[in-house]
Amino acid sequence: MASTESLFPFRRRAGLRLTFYGAWTPVLFFIFVPAAFTVVLSFTDIRRAPGVPWQWVGLDNYFRFFNPARLGTSLTVIRNTLVYAGLTVLIGCFVSLGIAVLLNGRIRGKTVARALVFLPTILGVTVVGLIWSMIFSVYGPVQEMLSWFGVSSNFFGEPRLALYLVIFVVIWASLGVTTIIFLAGLQAIPAELYEVAAVDGATAPQVFRHITWPLLAPTFTTTMLLNVIAGLQGYALIYVLLGTSRPYAETLGLAVFSAGFGGSSTGTTQGFAAAVAMIQFVIVGVVSIAVLLFLKRREAKL
Amino acid sequence: MKVANLSPETAARQRTRYRVGSYILLGLVILTFAVPLLYLVNTSLKSFAEYQQNPNGLVQNPQWANFPAAWQEGRFTTYFLNTVLYTVVGACGLTLLSLLIGFPLGRGYIRSSRFWYGVLASFLFLPNAIVAQFQLLIAIDLYNTRVGYIIMLAIGVGIGPLLVAGYAQSVPREIDEAAAMDGAGYGRYLWTFAVPLCRPALATVFLLSAVAIWNDIILGTILFADASKWPIATGLNAFKGLNNTNWPLLAAATIIVAIPLVALYFFLQRYLVNAVVGAVKG
Repeated sequence: MASTESLFPFRRRAGLRLTFYGAWTPVLFFIFVPAAFTVVLSFTDIRRAPGVPWQWVGLDNYFRFFNPARLGTSLTVIRNTLVYAGLTVLIGCFVSLGIAVLLNGRIRGKTVARALVFLPTILGVTVVGLIWSMIFSVYGPVQEMLSWFGVSSNFFGEPRLALYLVIFVVIWASLGVTTIIFLAGLQAIPAELYEVAAVDGATAPQVFRHITWPLLAPTFTTTMLLNVIAGLQGYALIYVLLGTSRPYAETLGLAVFSAGFGGSSTGTTQGFAAAVAMIQFVIVGVVSIAVLLFLKRREAKL
Repeated sequence: MKVANLSPETAARQRTRYRVGSYILLGLVILTFAVPLLYLVNTSLKSFAEYQQNPNGLVQNPQWANFPAAWQEGRFTTYFLNTVLYTVVGACGLTLLSLLIGFPLGRGYIRSSRFWYGVLASFLFLPNAIVAQFQLLIAIDLYNTRVGYIIMLAIGVGIGPLLVAGYAQSVPREIDEAAAMDGAGYGRYLWTFAVPLCRPALATVFLLSAVAIWNDIILGTILFADASKWPIATGLNAFKGLNNTNWPLLAAATIIVAIPLVALYFFLQRYLVNAVVGAVKG
């Protein structure tokens, strides 16, 4: 305590306190208070329309989520969330790693490729969502290709296909960030290791297996974990692609939005949306801890 | 130690095969990312009649008038000006908050710094609070106001304070002592010394948040009742709802929204990429 205080060279701490706690005040008020208040709202039947009286309903919203009549939809949403997070993270990380290794080599055109792979990150969810809505539209190019085989599709309107199309688009849109991070990780591996391997006559797969893969493990762990959390929480791109009326492909994040702000949410209250947000919160916590433990153990083994 | 025992010819042949394979893969990557964007541009130049006849072929008769038409019909003047305002004010606010919180943490001037670092890390796991944030803004009369929306954008500091704190650790401490010796208070020192010293970190935070705010659709959709206050992404999404069959017009609108970001990216590519890498490491 005393030692940290002596670090502060200015005569009075008032300015520090004013600016530091002054900056924290709005952050806590608009982030932490609503986060904590989400629990409280989940015990009410509060509605979107302002001024409508609300009541305490106890655990009704949670019972409703797990009610036998609704259980099918609810379990679909949970399953979708896990499939979505699992596939986007696994496929995303491994494809990014492949692209990063490719772009880290001596190859022409890698600057252009890197710029292109990263572009969707800058374009944002709405632009990306519209581009792929157009490609997967009724008269779009994919439909035309399918017609060569005498097949046709409703794309996002197909309950069994929609989620996987969403997963594909999300991977396409998020490869850039992961690739750039892996590239930075690859460039941090000392070049001498590769030189020694070359002198020893190691083949490319051997170099990857014994140098690149183990040395990239810490970067891989962090990226995986962050992407799992983002995968379990994110929904902006899914919203642009699906809207709020396709429950068969919804993830928990989108279900919160649909229940709270969807146009056709006559039956659902914002209290129910808050309860879904709390269920999501628990799932995010449990899965992140499990993934972290798994990755740490894997890293220790390498 | 020999790892592999290959004759020189086999090794050379293998190297050629790897190189050819690499170029094929690189070509695939480039196509996967370029083709959807080129398709967007191609569609945006078609007349609606041409699109109906031939939705996927190359454009025969480019209709540049699609862009002004989309701009007008989509009310993009309003949305564009709104978003410029939200982005500039929101990103400045977010950067300022990140400085005020992150700088003293990085300098070790806060006694309970571990606690505050923990609070910053916990942002990652908080429940989705859109419902409560919406109700809070209604309760304090900031629902459907630009001020309320900008506040919600600016307080989403995320990793901003961590980036500033990380950078502040690397700046020599003697400067603080010299400034204090000269009689400067913490507030004045922060403004006249800390801001210029931390400029790279602040620029990173500003750029990252500006891109995020420009692309925000969720908050823009839920915090406004009046369409005239919408940011551009919300406006574009609503435009899609109205014109979901006229893809040329919609494609033109999409390009209108994307152009400023592409231009920014073109000039600041290296900077933006480094910012993202720094953000994840931080």
